[in-house]
Amino acid sequence: MKKLITMMSVAAMFPMAALAAGENNVGGCGWGSKLFDGESGLAPQIFAATSNGLYGTNTFGMTSGTSGCTQDGTVRSNWKTAMFIDGNKEKLARDMSTGGGEALDSLAHLLGVEAQDRAAFNRLAKDNMARIFPSDTVSTRQVVVALREVLSSDARLGRYIVAL
Amino acid sequence: MRGAWLLVCAALLRGPAALGAQDETYLAELVGKSRQLRLAGRVEWHKLVHYLPNLVLPGVHSLVDSPNFFNAADGETNPQSELEATLASFFSDLSETGERQNPQCAFIARRAWLDEQLGFDPKRMPQQPCTRFRQWREALDPAGLTLILASAYLDSPSSMYGHTLVRVDARDQDDRTRLLAYTISFAANTDEKNGLAFAVNGLFGGYPGTFSILPYYIKVREYSDLENRDIWEYELALTPEETDRVLRHAWELGQTYFQYFFFDENCSYQLLALLQVARPEMDLVGPFRWWALPTDTVRVIAEEPGLVRRTVYRPANATLIRRRLSLLSGEERALARGLSLGRVPEEDAALAALPAERAAAVLEASHDYLMYRRALGKKDVPDADALARRLLVARSRLDVPPQTPEVAPPGVRPEQGHGTARAGAGAGRRDGVNFQELRLRATYHAIMDPEEGYARGGQIEFFDSAFRRYESGSIRLESLTPIDIVSLSPRDDFFQSWSWKIAAGWTRARAADGSEPLVASVDGGGGAAWAMGGHRLFYAFLDGSARVNHHLDEGYALGAGASAGALLDWGPRWRAHTYARGLRYFLGQQDTPWSWGLEQRFTLDRDVALRLDLGRNREMGRTFNAGSASVLFYF
Repeated sequence: MKKLITMMSVAAMFPMAALAAGENNVGGCGWGSKLFDGESGLAPQIFAATSNGLYGTNTFGMTSGTSGCTQDGTVRSNWKTAMFIDGNKEKLARDMSTGGGEALDSLAHLLGVEAQDRAAFNRLAKDNMARIFPSDTVSTRQVVVALREVLSSDARLGRYIVAL
Repeated sequence: MRGAWLLVCAALLRGPAALGAQDETYLAELVGKSRQLRLAGRVEWHKLVHYLPNLVLPGVHSLVDSPNFFNAADGETNPQSELEATLASFFSDLSETGERQNPQCAFIARRAWLDEQLGFDPKRMPQQPCTRFRQWREALDPAGLTLILASAYLDSPSSMYGHTLVRVDARDQDDRTRLLAYTISFAANTDEKNGLAFAVNGLFGGYPGTFSILPYYIKVREYSDLENRDIWEYELALTPEETDRVLRHAWELGQTYFQYFFFDENCSYQLLALLQVARPEMDLVGPFRWWALPTDTVRVIAEEPGLVRRTVYRPANATLIRRRLSLLSGEERALARGLSLGRVPEEDAALAALPAERAAAVLEASHDYLMYRRALGKKDVPDADALARRLLVARSRLDVPPQTPEVAPPGVRPEQGHGTARAGAGAGRRDGVNFQELRLRATYHAIMDPEEGYARGGQIEFFDSAFRRYESGSIRLESLTPIDIVSLSPRDDFFQSWSWKIAAGWTRARAADGSEPLVASVDGGGGAAWAMGGHRLFYAFLDGSARVNHHLDEGYALGAGASAGALLDWGPRWRAHTYARGLRYFLGQQDTPWSWGLEQRFTLDRDVALRLDLGRNREMGRTFNAGSASVLFYF
């Protein structure tokens, strides 16, 4: 049964081909893996160009349409949750480990979790943090799949997998 | 490369098709009415096309540099012909595709304003649906706008002043879910990774500046988590129509580019130009002809009556970690450090012995510190990612709520600090000769200036100059320093940044013949700083110095030395700085100058301060005293 749910969830997920192409990278929208580059040492600390001018290339009103974004720079609605998870994996893992925080709140909002279910959602995420983030190299797809599994296994919160 | 596709787009947008006879009649009517109403002279029109009065000649010019922003060939300098050509373009039946827009949609703010003024008849001029704009607006779902200020980031020359952007707050979001909002920012469009090249090119308008849109969570990650810059959010009290005016204009600007200049047409200036279309009477760019520093632009917004509804402080990752650590006991602190460096296992008995809340606070602090170090690029922890996950799993097993502490916002916000330009007048005595002195500084903040609203331990001064009149002679230029930067970052068991300084300019120095020529000099140093409490900071540097002047033996001097000092605060108004420095010029002109002394500043008012400097110096074998008192004004 569980296996079936997993398979269904994978099949029902956001545009697969695009995500598979760049597993860990939202890519295409002008941001993504660039953010995760660390620079080291005193010289880069001083001379590295600030990101003020580096990541802000997601021009709108122009033709720059890519997989997850509209040509005008906003995130396609069916990609919103995946994009958010992709851009906030570390923060989400962190928030889940404590059972609260703005990244977790934002995820709950994207999933449409109602006010009366928020506490249960946070608790479930906390209890299953190790399952949702089974390794330190987990891909966005794995997180989404695991989150669906965890939510599906809960009678009260199962209905929120629709937006995932 | 990017310029190329902009030009292609310009070509697509241009070339209005010939109008039919009926269209011609209606256009003539509209043009007649617009002339009668003198619309081309109205401030709204000038804001929408970004016209500014010429500096010398009469007339105006637009700051926009991309040709596709103008419908008339002379639109850049002629508001009247641009308005009429814009009206003509609205008769285009060009249908919208992914590659092009109908002029009514590409100039949707102009359309809305002209429609308000002239009352377009949809039967005589069909209204375009502008689906792309509509979808974009729906995705933003605007409820209001917030100005975001990422505070100064001293360690990167291109963002030392801070950075501003506009956040579009959606209707279904609240303070807990603001990460999901979009932001609109103006930035130089370049892939340049070298900060120095970026800075130089930016100074001279070498990059096209464009507006772009990104989710706020990307920006928070960038500023707060990676660069450790505190963020200030200024929620604007705009009506829905005012918000829409701004967004329609943002849409128009999304397709254009401006030359990017760091000092005036920079990100902050362009954001003000965008925001001021909200209200016809609001003139935000007026005060900025030459300088537009992010904090100064925020000042303008904050001083506009009724424009800021409230402010929110978002502490940077490092700020939060410092707060967390300050709440730990010495033993807990050591535990957190051991955990974050992988030296203490999560199953450690000392950790298990702590009450759950305390253990949670230790684990959270150790994880955040580990991630902070990772963001800095420190690689001394083997497999930091795996360790981070283990710390989180250990934390998730503790059944207590998040131990995130409140961080009180600084009492003084960045825009409430002293003005960035400075003038000073004073008198003193040097080596037995009295003098009067005038000082002028273009911008921005020195370590001895009143600190409130500025980053502690940071100094960025551009174009400081001093003129003196000695009783024995005429007025002379004492020093001219185009650039003087100091970064003092206190070190402790958790934070281990280096401190550094660099200054370049011209200053008086004694030569072997007794004269005091103006020598060109570059001085720099690297060192460390330590804080004791919040009001004492000590530093030590190894220094290098190079000087060039034909009065010097062989025309130059190259030296090395050391300096040390202490900054001591007695309350927010009174700061003392005691220092000692010595150099050995061993190449070119030989000399061993040294100096020690005491500088004091007393703040009278936000923008007025007193200075009293006393020092003992040695130069070219002569030892002498110097002292001066002055009053400083900030504006």
